[in-house]
Amino acid sequence: MASLKDKYAIVGVGHSALGKVPELSDYGLQVTAVKAALDDAGLKKTDVDAVITHSHLLGAVRVHHQNLSERLGIDTAFGVSLSAGGATSCLMVQVAAAAIEAGFCKTVLCVHGDKGATRKTVTRGEGGGEFGPEYGLFGAAGAHAFGLTRHMHEYGTTHDHMGAIAVACRKHAQLNPVAAMQADMTLEDYHNSRWIVWPFHLFDCCLRSDGAAAVIVTSAERAKDMKQKPVYVMGMGQTNNSRGYIWGDHMTELGAKESGAQAFAMAGLKPKDIDTAQIYDCFTYILMATLEDYGFCKKGEGGPFVSGGRIELGGELPTNTSGGMLSECYIEGMLQIVEGVRQLRGECGARQVKDAETAIISGNGGNAVCHSTLILRN
Amino acid sequence: MSDYAKPVPTPSEDSRIYWEATKNHRMMLQRCRACGAFRFPPGEVCPECTSEDYEWTPVSGKGRVFSFVIYHRAYQRGFADELPYVVAVIELEEGPRMLSNVTGCKPEEVRCDMPVEVVYDDITDEVTLPKFRPA
Repeated sequence: MASLKDKYAIVGVGHSALGKVPELSDYGLQVTAVKAALDDAGLKKTDVDAVITHSHLLGAVRVHHQNLSERLGIDTAFGVSLSAGGATSCLMVQVAAAAIEAGFCKTVLCVHGDKGATRKTVTRGEGGGEFGPEYGLFGAAGAHAFGLTRHMHEYGTTHDHMGAIAVACRKHAQLNPVAAMQADMTLEDYHNSRWIVWPFHLFDCCLRSDGAAAVIVTSAERAKDMKQKPVYVMGMGQTNNSRGYIWGDHMTELGAKESGAQAFAMAGLKPKDIDTAQIYDCFTYILMATLEDYGFCKKGEGGPFVSGGRIELGGELPTNTSGGMLSECYIEGMLQIVEGVRQLRGECGARQVKDAETAIISGNGGNAVCHSTLILRN
Repeated sequence: MSDYAKPVPTPSEDSRIYWEATKNHRMMLQRCRACGAFRFPPGEVCPECTSEDYEWTPVSGKGRVFSFVIYHRAYQRGFADELPYVVAVIELEEGPRMLSNVTGCKPEEVRCDMPVEVVYDDITDEVTLPKFRPA
């Protein structure tokens, strides 16, 4: 992979109203997020010449980037809709950098938003397909939970470990005024939350949310003259365990291992050099496995690693400082990028990681198959 | 049709022979004639060596629970009476893994690496699901 270290920067981030937003359509959420990101960057919509969107909505949409650009009132030099589940977030930034590198465009808007909380539920699994629904395997929780069961079996990982993650995210959410979950959560509350799909409690699972977020990417050269201090993309990686989560050791060793190695190699950094991690936390287990696979600890030692406050603000690796998808809001990883950028700009107030200079961001999707990684610096 | 309330698999062109076999209470998988690998789910090329040369071959129906989960909520009404129920990743002796249910024991008795063997559940006149019980 060509080294694009420090050649591209994130110059604007923004999001819509988050949580329950029944008054806005998904496009309504998306365009308000775009407006916020443009304002943040000090750009006009005509300064953008490319739009990349995440095409997966609960009501999936073809040529989504085209529909969104129409609503924004812009023609673009480059546009594409991506679908790599939760890996799409960081992947959009990577495709943006690659497209600028190729000369297709200069300044790229990356957008995702959905109405996970107030859209009517889409009916699935009623008789269609094979090799899953007939056995009662429904939803993302079941598919991801296999990994935790196996991890517990192989490494002795416990629910106390998962609870430490849920509690850390909740504590961080309480320092974030826009986070959905503001109530106290103790380890006991975690254990008492109902089973969704054993070994996942309710509090192992991320939120269902309405919301959208947008990220603007341009060259480091152009970024120098913009309103915000640029946040540079130091490292990028992506890997797909495309043989599926049930193949080999994929359920316990995510695409994060190779994706993270690529990103660290490009950045020229090691895990000890990272000041804050914003990790795709669709489920507590995925956050823990990602930290292992990124090399913050050895495989199998993720449970002890996330315990004892290590991933909390003030700990060794403050992780998901906004509350994450477990306690802030679920926009399939977009807010992980937004929070990473804001931490590196020093905008996070009560939840600011002191002197944060580097951040690692992850996306993980397609039922724990696709993975993408960004390493950012200020 | 019966009053069976759970999803019934829809065989594809690739999987028709697999489901015909289970209906006759046999498990058959494609075995690659080039490299000898068994594969699942069914497909036209070998995922190990990309050969298109294969034969449908009986397998033992024995294996182990690689991992499992226990559903405590019914996401489809047909499962409401079975809660809690186990969905498992079964690794067959011949190598391939498949999703199925573990029956014949309590959910809390299921363990990773537990030996299991196939049992057949005739869910409709046309379709039979292979499931697994402790061996």
